[in-house]
Amino acid sequence: MTDTLQLQSEAAARPKPAIPLPTSVARAATAAGAVITAASAFLSWTYSSQFPGDLTVSGYPGGLQWITFAGGLLTLLYTLVGYRVPVLRLLAPGGPEGTTVLLAVGSAVTTWFTLIAISVELGGLANLTGGGWVAGVGSLVAVVGALALPRDGEQTQDAKLRVLLYAGKRPELPPTQPESPWVEVPVVLVTLAVALGIFSYGIDTAYAELFGGFLILTGFTAWALNRSGDFTRLAALMQRNRTTAAVGAFVAAGLFPFTQQGGNAEANANLGVSILIFAATALGLNIVVGLAGLLDLGYVAFLGVGAYTAALVSGAAGAAFHVQFPFWAAALLGAAVSGVFGVLLGAPTLRVRGDYLAIVTLGFGEIFRIVVQNLDGTSGPNVTNGAIGISNVPDLNIFGFDFGSPHSLGWFTIGRFANYFELMLLFTAIIVLVFARSTNSRIGRAWIAIREDETAATAMGINGFRFKLLAFALGATLAGLAGTVFVHVNYSVVPDTFQFAGPTPPNSAFLLAAVVIGGMGTVTGPLVGASLFFLLQAKLSFLHDYQLLLFGLTLILFMRFRPEGIIPNRRRQLEFHEAETAEA
Amino acid sequence: MHELPQNLVNGLLLGATYGLIAVGYTIVYGIVQLINFAHGEIFMTGAFGALSVYLGLGSGTSMWITIPLMILGAIVTSTVIAVLTERLAYRPLRNAPRLAPLITAIGVSITLQQLVWGFYPSAKSPRVFPSLPGGPYHIGSILIQSSDIFVLVAAVLSTLFLAYFVRSTRTGRAMQATAQDPDTAKLMGINTDRVIVIAFALGAAFAGIAGVAWGLRYGEIKFDMGFLTGLYAFTAAVLGGIGNIYGAMLGGLVLGLVQNLTAIYIADIPGMSQFSSQSWSSVWAFVILILVLMVRPQGLLGERVADRA
Repeated sequence: MTDTLQLQSEAAARPKPAIPLPTSVARAATAAGAVITAASAFLSWTYSSQFPGDLTVSGYPGGLQWITFAGGLLTLLYTLVGYRVPVLRLLAPGGPEGTTVLLAVGSAVTTWFTLIAISVELGGLANLTGGGWVAGVGSLVAVVGALALPRDGEQTQDAKLRVLLYAGKRPELPPTQPESPWVEVPVVLVTLAVALGIFSYGIDTAYAELFGGFLILTGFTAWALNRSGDFTRLAALMQRNRTTAAVGAFVAAGLFPFTQQGGNAEANANLGVSILIFAATALGLNIVVGLAGLLDLGYVAFLGVGAYTAALVSGAAGAAFHVQFPFWAAALLGAAVSGVFGVLLGAPTLRVRGDYLAIVTLGFGEIFRIVVQNLDGTSGPNVTNGAIGISNVPDLNIFGFDFGSPHSLGWFTIGRFANYFELMLLFTAIIVLVFARSTNSRIGRAWIAIREDETAATAMGINGFRFKLLAFALGATLAGLAGTVFVHVNYSVVPDTFQFAGPTPPNSAFLLAAVVIGGMGTVTGPLVGASLFFLLQAKLSFLHDYQLLLFGLTLILFMRFRPEGIIPNRRRQLEFHEAETAEA
Repeated sequence: MHELPQNLVNGLLLGATYGLIAVGYTIVYGIVQLINFAHGEIFMTGAFGALSVYLGLGSGTSMWITIPLMILGAIVTSTVIAVLTERLAYRPLRNAPRLAPLITAIGVSITLQQLVWGFYPSAKSPRVFPSLPGGPYHIGSILIQSSDIFVLVAAVLSTLFLAYFVRSTRTGRAMQATAQDPDTAKLMGINTDRVIVIAFALGAAFAGIAGVAWGLRYGEIKFDMGFLTGLYAFTAAVLGGIGNIYGAMLGGLVLGLVQNLTAIYIADIPGMSQFSSQSWSSVWAFVILILVLMVRPQGLLGERVADRA
């Protein structure tokens, strides 16, 4: 009697795999499936070279086949971890099974995504050759095998959670002893190099199908690595080597233009610098929204103030003032003017409790656009040249370095946009520094206190109004700073750029989404969110008509299911899931 | 010289429309402390619902049948959409930090706008809305269109109905109780979830009527007309004192007057002649909002509410 009870409880504790197969068979099937998937990338998948990337060649992978290849190899790697290969154990501190499932599913999804894309675009399954079918079947075998693997992690009765738990939450790992710096620093550097490689590859994807496949596999891999505990370990490692990681990240980002040397170099560098501007602005917004908890819905207007200020003193032909400031002066002026606007707007509204700020900033964003549009000489005095905007903003020239023309550095050529990329990187570094320093200071703690409970914070002697105004003005200043570069990169500035919501970034809604979906209150969150958003809208242009719709739905779904964002701030995460943890 | 009475009337009519929409903001805010950004879009969908009814009826039908059916169509459309968004988007976030529902509201607003833009037949450009026959009527020097009469009647009737509903019905008193203290209201046996749904539905119904009024007055409706109009209506709600239903109406009227009068009389201030055109009126509305927040943050009719923890 007791024996059966015990057996039952054991069975309950150890969750059953989704597909009942002997473990050895399951592992073998997963490994075989992964190998077949990876190998199939070397076969021809279709008869016609009409499909982008030319998948007709046997002998080496091309286009989307590279994605499948990578997916197969990763699945194989984590299957081998399951075989308890000695060194590889280190790769999955949280257990390899859930990771393998995710990777197998990820490579199957990308593979089938490719096959379906071929069939749809070329008209019918008949366009697939044997190689394509091998890839499809192989990836499915791996999924079936992975689903039959013994499962790690705890069981839950909640059907809703069960699906999520299959992939699992990030495992709680015991803290590890620091390794010697001779081990840790290279790991940091290799991680950064891999990140740079993935990012450069993603930007360089030439067509929407390739980007789609890339995105699917990257997403699943990130999920898988989170499940395996690798991210937990890496995060701890990065935290220990904070300075190395930060400096290394900026060096890696600075090397990005050097990875883009082909025919698309300028276009990709342009993408890169636009992402940086967008991300830096989002980071500024993160001070306002993420740290101080003030909802700013017209943030892009501050970018606009900076951009217009810089354009007006740039000596552009269309500008009302015929002066040309040196760039450092223009940048400081742009930031200062933007900051003044922030104070002017914040002073009356921040005294009032409640959500008025949201609506006032939303109004300000709209009004800024309307005012700039009206200052055209007919509806008002001519300052900004109205809807036509200020064009022909000259390229920068700092200490004799001409940003407008390409420069050669050894074997590498650094084009116009790449020059601006490096400049903007410097500005981003400044913004990151401001963000990081203020977070860990008295000011940052005051902001967080106000965000959590303003009454309590005031009782502790924090002057709520002053700190809120500081956050608001600081955010405005940083956006203005980014705006000064923005106008030079784009040659011109027009009022329509600064909308609340539009199909192209930067606009206030996208900025807010980058912060919220990336992760409020973190440095990496908005950077990741901004890159993701910008790349998505730039690469998936065929979705153009539905982009905003998808965007709106994404906001709703994220708030419902993961309000803390992709990269959560620990404190925020607990706050958002207060109810669940309280019940448990 | 400009005709002051005519401008006053125009301002009041515009204001009445704002007031109808502002009621929705104020009821919902009063009960759940949420700025429902999507309310402007609810107003817009109401107008499109009315247009669908009109198109479905065909041109032969008498105006006396068409108009009530259109109003009904608008009310049904906007109410259904508002209740659905409350159910699916806002309710799961009832106890989340207040930033979460605000961001959801933005998402809902964009989604609704894009749904209409993408899937309503040829809504990518403005759609022509039917106009009321008859008129214009002259009252002294004032010129009034028949659509203006509709706005006037709709606004007065709606306000009277709302006043009766909130004061004299059980549900209305339940709403007041929930607004004052949701927890105690719940202890007194009030189904607060139901009250919240009713608040959303009521506000949406008014927005639907406003949508019809808007279409009749301006002759065309657009997928993005809810955004700026919603912003003004919210300004009106704040102006009147958010949470106060009569305040919303009053705020709407004041805002409508300000927008209409500034568009004309600012030119008379020396040196300001260039700032008077219609394109600046939204700027003045916004300036008014900031001024009110500085001088009387609780709004014209609002009472200073103690901060609810």
